Amino acid sequence: MADRSVLFAPQPTGVSRWLPWAIVSVVMLLVLIFPFIVDRPRFWLPNIGVQSIWLGIIAMSLVFLNRYVGLLSLAQVTVAGISAYGVGYMVVTLQQDFVLGALVGIVVGTFSAFVIALIAARTKAIYFLMITLAIGQVFFSWASQAIEVTGASRGLAPIRRPDWGVIDLNDITTFYYFAVAVGVFCYVLCRYVAGSTFGLALEGVRDSPERMKALGYNVNAYRVAATTFAGFIASIGGILIVLDRAQVDPNVVSLGATLDVLVVAVIGGIGSLGGVFVGALVLTLLSNFAQGLTEQYMTLTGIVFILILLFAPAGLAGIGQQVKRLISRRRRSATDSDESSQDPSAAQPTEHAITEGNKR
Amino acid sequence: MKRQKKGLAAALALGGSMLLVVTGCTAAGDSGDGADGGDGVITIGVLSTSEGNLAFGMDEAMAAIGVSMEARGGTADGGEIAGQQVEFVYAGTDGTTASAQTQVRRLVENEDVDIVFGPVSGDEGETVVQYALTVPEVTFVNGSASPVSMTLEGAENFFRFHGDSAMWMGGLGNYAFEEKGYESIYLLAEDYSFPYDNAGGFFAEFCAAGGTITGSSWVPVGTTDYATIISQIPAETDAVYVGLGGADAASFLSQAVTNNVAKPLVGGTIAVDITALSGDANIASAAAGMISGGPVPGEGYDNPVWADFVEAYSTQPNAFPSPSIFSILYYTAFESLVLGLEAADGDLSDNQSAFRSELASLTWDSPTGPITMDSNRQAVVDNFLTEVIEGEDGSLVLNTIESASGVAQGTTVYDRFDTCADIG
Repeated sequence: MADRSVLFAPQPTGVSRWLPWAIVSVVMLLVLIFPFIVDRPRFWLPNIGVQSIWLGIIAMSLVFLNRYVGLLSLAQVTVAGISAYGVGYMVVTLQQDFVLGALVGIVVGTFSAFVIALIAARTKAIYFLMITLAIGQVFFSWASQAIEVTGASRGLAPIRRPDWGVIDLNDITTFYYFAVAVGVFCYVLCRYVAGSTFGLALEGVRDSPERMKALGYNVNAYRVAATTFAGFIASIGGILIVLDRAQVDPNVVSLGATLDVLVVAVIGGIGSLGGVFVGALVLTLLSNFAQGLTEQYMTLTGIVFILILLFAPAGLAGIGQQVKRLISRRRRSATDSDESSQDPSAAQPTEHAITEGNKR
Repeated sequence: MKRQKKGLAAALALGGSMLLVVTGCTAAGDSGDGADGGDGVITIGVLSTSEGNLAFGMDEAMAAIGVSMEARGGTADGGEIAGQQVEFVYAGTDGTTASAQTQVRRLVENEDVDIVFGPVSGDEGETVVQYALTVPEVTFVNGSASPVSMTLEGAENFFRFHGDSAMWMGGLGNYAFEEKGYESIYLLAEDYSFPYDNAGGFFAEFCAAGGTITGSSWVPVGTTDYATIISQIPAETDAVYVGLGGADAASFLSQAVTNNVAKPLVGGTIAVDITALSGDANIASAAAGMISGGPVPGEGYDNPVWADFVEAYSTQPNAFPSPSIFSILYYTAFESLVLGLEAADGDLSDNQSAFRSELASLTWDSPTGPITMDSNRQAVVDNFLTEVIEGEDGSLVLNTIESASGVAQGTTVYDRFDTCADIG
């Protein structure tokens, strides 16, 4: 179950012990002072900052399922969209308070993830992916047609950001910090759940469902629970979408949006909970600025994606490991050429859900 | 676990670096300071479609701007208006609300444009109006988006210099009932805001005249298989309303021929595209006799302003053989914008009040007839009823049946409907 190479890996010492924390601290500092270092906060905070955060949160729910359960779900955007529609229906159609709408949105989104899990949890790998994709497309078609509930193609608008006195989300700086806080909360929650006994059991389900069954675990129940939890995270992302876009329409749950989140997860690192925010940042920057570089901006976006897959197959979050392996390999080859290619602690360069799923 | 931490650290480091790089790249000085910034440059952000099924929208927008700017010694890249230097920032969308929202925000909040010109599609337009309400310091001039609601939202900074999609069908409902004798019509249309209003404008009049709707099919954009829908058309229906556009309209017409649909057709405004319909002999036979309404006149339209525009359009890069509805609407809107700027002497100070005042009271003879403005900053325009007929050489020709002057906007915003009672 556990990775033996990690168990027996030498403990980090010296620079390698404090460097990651130093980098995390610097980046968190940058995130916090971001509103004061950009020249146009009105543009950068919502359009780059907040958008990267909600894209990252939804992608993080996808990565959580892939990393800890071995399931690649393409319904995470749908779950986020259902949550967003929940808010829109409460606020626009029923004229209710935003907080109540957000609570309803999260409950509805999480429950929809539970239902999706009941349908899809008995499958895995490519079959799970296809079922979740199909469910997402069914919901997109329904959302495009159900005019009484979703407003069809017009959607539900306007959904104004709330003002709670001390916290006024109409202030863009406050809105940005609110989104940062939500993003940190989701990340910490995912890490906490992953590190709990529940998370360890999920890794067991991922690595050897047969053994877990033999030990008395209800494998499907764990998969359903994990998918529901990931749905909860995606639902929170859906609330941020509504706050950012001030409306919800079928575009939120379209195939393009689903692919965007998948691209974010792959660019950031399909196995890294934190890397998704880097992937989201890259995609957001490209969608905003690629047009200024070339008329063929979609091609540019595709080229960036291909280059990242070619040179950083584990995503941007895997670059650190790639560099470390490269350095250690060179060191070893300098001291012992015979053992240069036999590194038992080397990590796999790519975490590919489909092939991993097939192996399991 | 350690491996993951280091990977995360690397990712965060890279992200932080990218933030620094991109923010550094745009720091101070690379944006277009507006005329109210005091440097005498007016920056106009142009929103149009450059991807998806309306990917030609950007070329048509540039052609329209080119016609107007070349008349003043400039180009689609820039020039001078009322003694002020004018620059353009073009932003392409894929026709979706998400894309329009991203690009309009970029134009206003990062490029600092003084005026936003666009967008193309109805759903985009409704999103842009919602955004316009939040940035009252910027003036928005609509491109070709035509939902009724856009000028009824109370955005004082939003102007539309062409009719809405319900206005475009004004007169066609009565004509279909009284002149053509259609008493029952089957409704087939794409499922988004433009066809709601376009069909609503037609059926409101048709139903009021005594007509009935025998059934309805609202299909997603991009539908290619119409066999099932064709089989649902009741035998006693007098005609079929085709609220489709582009490739969807061509697919339906082709299958209408294959499935022997003998019913006469009433076209939505963008269903009748002579260039597209003439390409296939089968389609041509189905399209002949189709009546429609819209802002584009048919053959033989006698207006020197129109003739000048068509000639100037033909010299633009990537121009179609004849102007599309998008280039006509974009030209009308952009020329209005320029006339407003000239009347205000390029003065965008005081929250652009002089410029907006000139736009709100603008009157001029456009290629498709005189334009005046109502109190909602919505144009009162001429409208054309047309019929597709076969010319002497067998090719299809769009013939003008009637034209109506001074068509004003109504206040009904239409949603999807299935019966006359739904729009009553």
